[in-house]
Amino acid sequence: MKYGLWLLLVLWPMARLANEAGLAELLGRIRYNGSAEFSYQETRKLELSSSPWNGRGMMLSGVDGSLIKLQLQPMRVIMVSTEQRMYYWDPEQQQRHSALIAQAGAAGEEITLFRSIIQGHTERLQSTYNFTHQVHGKAWTLRMTPKPGLNDESAPTIEISGNEDDSKQQVLIRQADGESTEYLMVKTAEGPEVEKSIRRLLLEAIGD
Amino acid sequence: MSFVWRKRWFLLLFPLLLAASVWQIRVESDLNVFFTATDNEDSRLLSGLLKSGELSRRYLLVVENANGSNPGNEAVHDASSLSASAAMDAFSAKLVVKLAQIEGVENVWAANEPPREWIDAIRTYAPYYARLFSLNPRQDGSALFDPDKLGSRAEGLKQALLSPQGGFVKAIAKQDSLLLSLNGFKDMQNQFQRQANLNSGGGALILQSRPAALDSDAHLRLQAAIRASFDSLNQSAGEKFRLSMAGVPVFSVAAQTEISRDVTLVSVASSVAVTLVFLLLFRSFSALHWVMMVQAASFVLGTLATALVFGYVHSLTLALGASLIGICTDYPIHVMVHCAKHRHPPLDAVRLLWPSLAMGGLTTIIGYAALGLTGFPGFEQIAVFALFSIFASLALTRWVLPALLAKSTLHSAHLPGIAAWAGFCGRHRRGLLSLFATGVILAFFTLPQLRWMDDMQKLAMDMDQLKQQDEAVRSHFSSIEPGRFVLVQADDIETALRRSEAVERRLIMLKQTGILSEYHGLFPWLVSQDLQAENAKVYAQALTPQFQEAWRAGLVKADLSLDKLGRLPPPIAEPLRPETVLASPVRHILSGQIIEGQNGAVLAIWLGEHDPVKLAEGLAGLEGTRYFSQKDQLDQLAGQYRDRSLLMLAIGIAVMGLFILLQQRNIRKVVLTLLPSVASVLFIFAIWSLMGEEVSFLHVIGLLLSVSLCVDYGIFFMDNRGENSDVTYHGIAASTLTTLASFGALGLGKTPTLPILALSVSLGVTLGFLLCPLLIQKPTR
Repeated sequence: MKYGLWLLLVLWPMARLANEAGLAELLGRIRYNGSAEFSYQETRKLELSSSPWNGRGMMLSGVDGSLIKLQLQPMRVIMVSTEQRMYYWDPEQQQRHSALIAQAGAAGEEITLFRSIIQGHTERLQSTYNFTHQVHGKAWTLRMTPKPGLNDESAPTIEISGNEDDSKQQVLIRQADGESTEYLMVKTAEGPEVEKSIRRLLLEAIGD
Repeated sequence: MSFVWRKRWFLLLFPLLLAASVWQIRVESDLNVFFTATDNEDSRLLSGLLKSGELSRRYLLVVENANGSNPGNEAVHDASSLSASAAMDAFSAKLVVKLAQIEGVENVWAANEPPREWIDAIRTYAPYYARLFSLNPRQDGSALFDPDKLGSRAEGLKQALLSPQGGFVKAIAKQDSLLLSLNGFKDMQNQFQRQANLNSGGGALILQSRPAALDSDAHLRLQAAIRASFDSLNQSAGEKFRLSMAGVPVFSVAAQTEISRDVTLVSVASSVAVTLVFLLLFRSFSALHWVMMVQAASFVLGTLATALVFGYVHSLTLALGASLIGICTDYPIHVMVHCAKHRHPPLDAVRLLWPSLAMGGLTTIIGYAALGLTGFPGFEQIAVFALFSIFASLALTRWVLPALLAKSTLHSAHLPGIAAWAGFCGRHRRGLLSLFATGVILAFFTLPQLRWMDDMQKLAMDMDQLKQQDEAVRSHFSSIEPGRFVLVQADDIETALRRSEAVERRLIMLKQTGILSEYHGLFPWLVSQDLQAENAKVYAQALTPQFQEAWRAGLVKADLSLDKLGRLPPPIAEPLRPETVLASPVRHILSGQIIEGQNGAVLAIWLGEHDPVKLAEGLAGLEGTRYFSQKDQLDQLAGQYRDRSLLMLAIGIAVMGLFILLQQRNIRKVVLTLLPSVASVLFIFAIWSLMGEEVSFLHVIGLLLSVSLCVDYGIFFMDNRGENSDVTYHGIAASTLTTLASFGALGLGKTPTLPILALSVSLGVTLGFLLCPLLIQKPTR
């Protein structure tokens, strides 16, 4: 889920650009600066779940690259990812976790990969993913598939789609084991106010 | 053989010996080899723990802001402290990656979180969930298998699957849907949580090194590499951070550095002092260079022989062996004093003095042999070194030195005050002897007040600054004390595991009463077959149709798959065996807790802060279990060394007396020969009693050495082979001076061992020298 969250925010600007330019130009220009807030709806299909799980909430992206997922339904949960660390706070279950991304194993490696997207290190993406994009009228789709022969067999396939309305996007992440997460996202705000919210939620997740 | 050919052979063989020693010798600097005995099970255990114990090889690293503020010590409320905390995280993460690449680093991880390997290892326990969910299955079973709680547990599982740990939980839940296997690891999670609370700002790292803790050379390189990695990263970060290190290897490197300094200082000072005394006495550079060559050859032979016997030579043996130069020089000095005073050719003087020289050498060898038998491992090597060096020096003095000195001109060695003191003793013998007798009686009365040093720490180097740094670094870590733990022993691993589980149950109670802050046991990494069977039984009993139905209802309510999670199978038939666990990566996690013992299995349970007395009381009655304190063990060893040193002192004196008796065939002469050295030992003990000096086994060993040297003076004085007691006493005075010069140089050392030996030997030989003309009546031959 966290993995999906990262992809969602990271690839959001990528998708917008892909509609306007060729892939080479897209990869050269993918970089997202500034703060933004999104409302989202999430649908997850888990291998061990009998039916799809639905959640909704807000996602916030900070200028320093931090990402916060504030899940509001079915219950309030905060998930934060800063440059080095992940935080998790579930007030209902009173579960609070923190982990260094560098020590978080495969999930940490994926987040590092997506951070390189944010920072514009496209050479790392090109070495691990194949990029294809399709345009049908006003609708577009950008698909990223792991390059065959990579050691990481658990790498997901990512599909981002949208239309002429840049504030709405759809992201689908399919895991290698069949699980999937789909996000419908609508940008709701940007600017300094978002940074304040990020700090407040970060403090809550840390426990201060 | 003619003198010419003796000289030629010596000049040919000496460089060859030197070359052979350089080629052949391996110099060892591992302090453990020198200081820790391995003659009983506990000593071997202590030695092993110091050498390669998991905790002994561990570095604790703390990265802090260079300005002294630590984000972990502040409430994280404002943007700047958040940013500082993030910067610290970023820096620590980069440092972890960089440190992991250093050769000699086994693993490095942030102290707040378990290493990734541990998490991966936990996953492998999922199939055995029904066999290791609790240390007290009957007690915990009622809560764990309460059907009313299954709804909330299913909901908890759902949330766990949706959390960032979803991948990890899913892999376990597919085999262990109740997540029972994680229950056993709950304590580990709590330990890391406590550590995280203690070090909320991050920056605390644990580095597991590969080299043995006391392999100072390897750790010197490793510490330099750690600092270099830190410096290069810190430079990129604008010098914002500083690094502090703690751990046993930090102390061992500091000790090694001090010892290396001492070795150089003592060797140089000893050689220079002996040379100066020699020049002062004989004023002959020609004689000096020949005598020094003889001593160098003796030193090289001693070193080679030691290397052949032990396979290596310890650097401390070389340092202490350097003081032997002063002793071995005695033999040529006696010869030269007689040459100079009587104008005898060297060969005649050697022939005349040879019986006394041989007996003097023999008693010195006996002294060193007794030293080697005190049980202190380093002294065994020094004894072998001394044996061969003294033997070589005697042989070279007898057969080669006359050839070398054939053309040297020696000046009369006149020392002011020597004849006057001998004369004074002769004139006032009666009065002085009365004084002596009174002194002896008083000395005996003071002996019961003698204070023995029972704390071996007092013999350790003064490292206050390092200790302060160590405390400061350890304040960032939830402490596990490296020197105190619980040892569980049994004939086989199964019994040992059963016993360690009993200990852990007791430790949990002690934790609840506040006697112990935390502990690291072996459960559930390694679980006895008995406890596995008991867990399985409790689980199987709980697995009623009602229970299974309640679980399925919970799953349905939480929208979880009945197909994949609804079946609760019976416990796996095959238990998890120790050999299976130890063949997996878990062996690295437990490597410091399973100790190879000669007699069965030995398990260690590490302890956090605790009250030693109450904890030991709390463990009373548990079979095969004892509280082990490294400090207590060392103190006990110090006591053993002391008792054995005293015994060896007595045996050494007795054996020397026996050999003198064989030569002299006169019991009175034997007593008189031994009396100056024995009396000086008595007086020195009395002086220490009156001064309140704490006497250790090293003091006793120093006195043992002084006896072996002083007895030589008695032999020479009693024999008086030149039939001129003034000349003989001059020879003794000259050799006393060289002994004082060489052993006095030991006093410059910072290692406490060296000044103690310097003081004991210097006091002993000085008093023995002064007592000779008083106690041994001027011989008239």
